Amino acid sequence: MQKSEATHLDRKGTPAWGALTGRLLGLLLGVAPLLVFMAVFFFWPLWSVLWASFQDNYGTFSLGNYIQVFQEPYLSAFKNSIGLGLISALTSSIPGAILAYLIESRGSERLRRLVASVSSVLANTGGVPLAFMFIAAFGMEGSATMLLKNLGVNIYAGDFTLFSFTGIVFVYTYFQIPMMVIVFSPAVHGIRREWQEAARNLGASRLQFWSNVGIPLIFPSFIASFLLLFASAFSAFATARAMSSGTIALVPLMIGNLVDGNVFVDSFNLGKALAMGMVVVSALAMIPYLIIQRRAARWQA
Amino acid sequence: MRNLKLASLPMYLSLVVAAVYVLLPLLSAAEFSLRQPATHNYGLKHYIWFIELPDFAHYLILSLGLALGAAALVLVLLVPTAVWLNLGGHKLRGFIEFLTLLPLVIPVVALAIGAQTSLPEFAQTNEFVLSFIYAILALPYAYRTLDTGLKAVPLKTITEAARGLGAGWMRTILQVVTPVVRSTVLSALFMTLALSLGEFTLTSLLHWDTFTTWVTTMSQSNILGAIALSVFSLVAVFVLLMLIGLFVKPASNQVSMEEN
Repeated sequence: MQKSEATHLDRKGTPAWGALTGRLLGLLLGVAPLLVFMAVFFFWPLWSVLWASFQDNYGTFSLGNYIQVFQEPYLSAFKNSIGLGLISALTSSIPGAILAYLIESRGSERLRRLVASVSSVLANTGGVPLAFMFIAAFGMEGSATMLLKNLGVNIYAGDFTLFSFTGIVFVYTYFQIPMMVIVFSPAVHGIRREWQEAARNLGASRLQFWSNVGIPLIFPSFIASFLLLFASAFSAFATARAMSSGTIALVPLMIGNLVDGNVFVDSFNLGKALAMGMVVVSALAMIPYLIIQRRAARWQA
Repeated sequence: MRNLKLASLPMYLSLVVAAVYVLLPLLSAAEFSLRQPATHNYGLKHYIWFIELPDFAHYLILSLGLALGAAALVLVLLVPTAVWLNLGGHKLRGFIEFLTLLPLVIPVVALAIGAQTSLPEFAQTNEFVLSFIYAILALPYAYRTLDTGLKAVPLKTITEAARGLGAGWMRTILQVVTPVVRSTVLSALFMTLALSLGEFTLTSLLHWDTFTTWVTTMSQSNILGAIALSVFSLVAVFVLLMLIGLFVKPASNQVSMEEN
């Protein structure tokens, strides 16, 4: 591949040295700076977390930090964070998938583009402003709470509060449903009308088409999108922090408390082991996501 | 025709539900931020309050500066890479794609701890270090935006044509490549800007103060003011992101997992 490229320009009559300097220039300007940059600001920091997570306070090798990760309260925090990821992904992926399907199958080109751009804006909202927006809307004295009360719906009739696990899941749907619409739409879009027509011409019923062709085709994409939502809710920090001021037992919040020195622990490097634990969970979701997306891209194009 | 409309009914119904769901919190927050408890009236009091704070301009300018720094890094580091990889079927292409996706896999909290442990003293005492890490966080989105955009133009053919007609490398890059890739590059830069402006996790864990962390601090003394600030920054980011939409048609998978 590389060889054919080096000679590509020669055939067109450009002197060989031109192509060669072009390649060299590309390597030098194109790839080397990016590699150096990522090495310094990405790989080195990660390596140092990994390295420190295996050390005790005196700099000797130890598994002590990891043993603590599997003890309370950290074990519960991992369970809570994974639970939050799963529940949040479940509550957002299903409405998101239905919306994506309805819009992709029935909507006009203009509507689809509008929904896509609004979704990409909403999927990127988050963090502190999102938390305050929900406090203003659905807090005890919130405008939406009052409005709903006047309509006869009191969301505070039960033991609902915005500053709880349920509350956080509720807030996350605001950016997770649009995220689902964005990542899942291409899969629904890929189900070509011709395939449905072909199946019908061959005598398949609508149900047969979906159970034998449609669902098997989009199922991997659904799983991939689900995994992405899971990873996003699992590692989310800002919204949860702003809403609970760090009091809910979630791993990112615990790491935050350790870093800020709000909590005193015997081991300096415990936070690093917790962070590595998060990397492992996140990678278990994100790597299959990236692989499935890549494969699906082939027939969705 | 009648049938068609009936078939679209579930879609329109769900769109209405979605619109209410999206607008209700936003409009409620806007209403809340205009309340003036003392006089039971509406007014811009809380907005005027934060605009008059000297810190408001200070942190807004700082955040904009850091975001512009990150965008500049993406421009210098990533654009040449993406252009070069799209000029031919490079063996390195898959490798670079893999590399640029990696920041998606790593939770920001973990990267923040890493930066805190590994970066030398001089880097940790200069807030512009944030630009560099914001650029890392933006890599997956910026690269994907660039790659999708560049794939859509026959970059190789036009550069070869320019070269074949006798243009030098400099001239080819300035007069042929640049105009063609401009809109794609701009949208990648806007992505980076939007992401950097809203960054909270890394900033707060590295104990820096930018606009977003300042809003959180403010909320402790004046919650109504903080809500007004939040409405302001949400609307500002919406406008910025809508501008991206004007530059390019939305590519799939352009979601950010940062800042949730």
